[in-house]
Amino acid sequence: MSTLKQLAVRFFNSDPIFARRTVGGIQPHPFKERSLRSRIMSTPIPQQLTIPIGAEGSGEITLLVDIGDQVRKYQKLAVLNMSVEGCSDVPVHAPTSGVITSIENLIVADHSEQQQLCISLAADGHDEALQLEPHTNYSQLSSADIVSLIRDAGVIGMGGAGFPTADKLSIYGESAIEFLIINAAECEPYITADESLLRERADRVVLGAEILKQASAARRCIIAIEDTKLDAIAALKQALQNEMSLDQTCELVLIPSKYPAGSERQLIQCVTGSEIATGQHPTDNGIVMHNVGTAYAAYEAVVEGKPCISRFTTLCGQALKTPKNFEVLIGTATGFLFELCGIEASLEQRIIVGGSLMGSQLGSDKAAICKTTNCLIAASAIEFPTPEAEQACIRCGFCADACPSNLLPQQLFAFSKTLDTTQLLEHGLLDCIECGACDYVCPSHIPLVSIYKESKKLIETRSQSLERSDYWQQRFQFRQYRVKKEKDQALSRKPDASLKPKLAAEQAVKTPKDEQGFISKEQASRDIAAAVARVKARRNEKNK
Amino acid sequence: MSGLKAGAPFQHSGRNIAQLMQTLLYALLPGIFASLWFFGFGILINIAISISFAVIAEAAMLRLRNRDIRSHLSDRSALVTALLFAIAIPPGSPWWLVALGIVFAVVIVKHLYGGLGHNPFNPAMCGYAMLLLAFPLEMTGWHIPNEVINGPLIVDNLGIPTITPEREFLSPLSWSGFKQALLLAFPFAASGAIDISEFIDGLAMATPLIEFKMAGKSAIFAARESGASLFATGSETAWEIINIGYLFGGLFLLYKKIISWHIPLAIIATVFVLAALFYAPGSVAIYGTPYLHLFGSATMIGAFFIATDPVSAATTRPGKLVYGIIIGVSIYSIRVWGSYLDSIAFAVLFGNFCAPILDQYCRPRIFGHGLRGKSERSRSNEAPIKP
Repeated sequence: MSTLKQLAVRFFNSDPIFARRTVGGIQPHPFKERSLRSRIMSTPIPQQLTIPIGAEGSGEITLLVDIGDQVRKYQKLAVLNMSVEGCSDVPVHAPTSGVITSIENLIVADHSEQQQLCISLAADGHDEALQLEPHTNYSQLSSADIVSLIRDAGVIGMGGAGFPTADKLSIYGESAIEFLIINAAECEPYITADESLLRERADRVVLGAEILKQASAARRCIIAIEDTKLDAIAALKQALQNEMSLDQTCELVLIPSKYPAGSERQLIQCVTGSEIATGQHPTDNGIVMHNVGTAYAAYEAVVEGKPCISRFTTLCGQALKTPKNFEVLIGTATGFLFELCGIEASLEQRIIVGGSLMGSQLGSDKAAICKTTNCLIAASAIEFPTPEAEQACIRCGFCADACPSNLLPQQLFAFSKTLDTTQLLEHGLLDCIECGACDYVCPSHIPLVSIYKESKKLIETRSQSLERSDYWQQRFQFRQYRVKKEKDQALSRKPDASLKPKLAAEQAVKTPKDEQGFISKEQASRDIAAAVARVKARRNEKNK
Repeated sequence: MSGLKAGAPFQHSGRNIAQLMQTLLYALLPGIFASLWFFGFGILINIAISISFAVIAEAAMLRLRNRDIRSHLSDRSALVTALLFAIAIPPGSPWWLVALGIVFAVVIVKHLYGGLGHNPFNPAMCGYAMLLLAFPLEMTGWHIPNEVINGPLIVDNLGIPTITPEREFLSPLSWSGFKQALLLAFPFAASGAIDISEFIDGLAMATPLIEFKMAGKSAIFAARESGASLFATGSETAWEIINIGYLFGGLFLLYKKIISWHIPLAIIATVFVLAALFYAPGSVAIYGTPYLHLFGSATMIGAFFIATDPVSAATTRPGKLVYGIIIGVSIYSIRVWGSYLDSIAFAVLFGNFCAPILDQYCRPRIFGHGLRGKSERSRSNEAPIKP
């Protein structure tokens, strides 16, 4: 009976949500079926873990351990205080027990292609863990308690951005949140981590979503998923039904399958219909979005009290015999995972971290999995062949039709070639989300995204140099002003000094000034007349 | 590893320029077959001459510009230019006319401006316009084989020439038709042995719209505007069928997403609306029916194949609409009030002139831009309703 009632409430009291059309987008071949054939596999503990803490310059790192220390599983190793506005401390925990062997800068499996400070841990195989503190009745917890639990667990955005989840939940806690959107779109080809997670552990993801909803005090919680992911949808529906009997409500919204449907602003428009203005944050519009993996991590952090020491990562590509999804410990080397899948070295040509449209090439197979590594592709030569020779842009406009930001990539390309930064800014280069849709459809095979990245760098350096030159110009002008002022003062002081200083002081006091401290015109002419009279009087005295 | 793409995205749709051009060539086929059927081999000879000279000129220019000849020729853009040019030229034109036009188009209009992707004007239409200005007489007559015109004509009740066994010899696709077309294209071949006058006894006929215009201007046939068909020579149905052929080709391009709907729709709608507004049946000033404007001349090929040339057209979506409207208005005005007989070429070139400024000022709204009012409102509405 209660289910029926719930259904009735949902049908009549709240407006149902329909996915809306968004501009642009492409439908690339997904290449997801191979990695979805297997279930999620938990990796065995590797002998060596390299736990990334943070890149140099990304923030302040406080190390809590030293080389030679024996650590236990879940023990805090370091704290990163990101230098991004609104970020608080993010702790990093030991994925297993062992001894710290080194602390150095290494390459990690990350988009940034930047070295990160990594703590190397030699696992002892005992997997001795600290006692965890579960909170099964999370609904009793206050929002602040949940946020602090999530913060202590070191949960960050698992979708790829890596913004600390606790901060996302708390900073904007003051403005009312209408929608919490759980992003399960996962629109990029190859990546199936979220899909497989939903397929197998939808109930926990839904509970995680509930926890996030409670923490952000959102009025409605929406799980948005592409309508082609049938297994995951079925699992989610089942989980939501179970959850409904617990008197809680998350809503499921199926969105049309296209890339980049999972991009934050695009998904918000698709689900809620509101377009986030450039420069605004979704929370300004009462919307907050979290990834499926983040919801799962939040569940673990709160209900199980378990810190974030693992994540779900897809391993795929033609060079792998059995592509699959792993629940992998943070810090595992990519090579270790490839061997678990059975890599055919003869086929392997290169390794890409991330999906095929926004990923980046990885130089080393020893790079460590970090909290944001969602996919690794061991690509063969046939998979991503050498692109055809770049041809001239024929302005066909396919790119403009594909652009989810409604930009004009063909025009941006032309202005990038002429380095016309004014026009680039005018045409919204900074609104480019680098999704690669334009590049994907370009019949001339122009590497548009790379060109835009270069142009963005150019704009940045130009604006920096402009700022610098502005600064120095100001300094120079101020100096000139100061020199002139000193000269003027010296000139005006001379007769004063020859006169009686007392008189000058009196005059200064007497001279009435207006609010800004300037002498008015009439006052000045009167002063001048008085001065002339004084000089005349002195001359007359001398002459006498 | 050197040839590999360094940055994302690594996946590609697999489309390339050669494929686009190839599809465009296929889409032209129905219209070309229809022209072939009605006007005989002249059109094929035009195409052959045009393509050969286009390829030679393109290769020579690539050589001079130190470009790789093979890879650039294989993009098929020269073929498209040649084909569009050839079907705009009246069949039965002498070879040098076709050659001159296409060489002008490829060398001066395309390559001297920087080759593929850099020409501000449509090469085929520039070539056509140049010929129209320089050789007005040669450019306005559409020759079709003599005997088709002078022989008995059997037309069924729908106005379509029936293909009866008795009529078969009248088809322009006969051997004598071929000979005649060859002689028209290569006058030097008729060295005494053949009496040219036997073949070229001079039927020059324009498109129905042009005939209509001439008729309207001279007011000779004005009285016959209604009633008996003015175009009993079969030219009317011919152009209808040819236009329908190009319309199908254009719809195929739309289906294949090679072109967007904006330009063709804007042109056709504009021409239709103007023709409908100015149409005055029975009056002396004859503007022609909307149907005549759409199907009686080169409107369909212009709207779907020529104005949509991406390089010289406007490239933004709103810009394309305005571009189409500009071309539509120009087509109609030149046809009705202008002194030139065919208007597509000049209208498209005029559109080309406007394209850069349209691209600059007719831009789509960037996602997340221009919402200031809205977002501020929503912000102020944001009352703290936190439970």
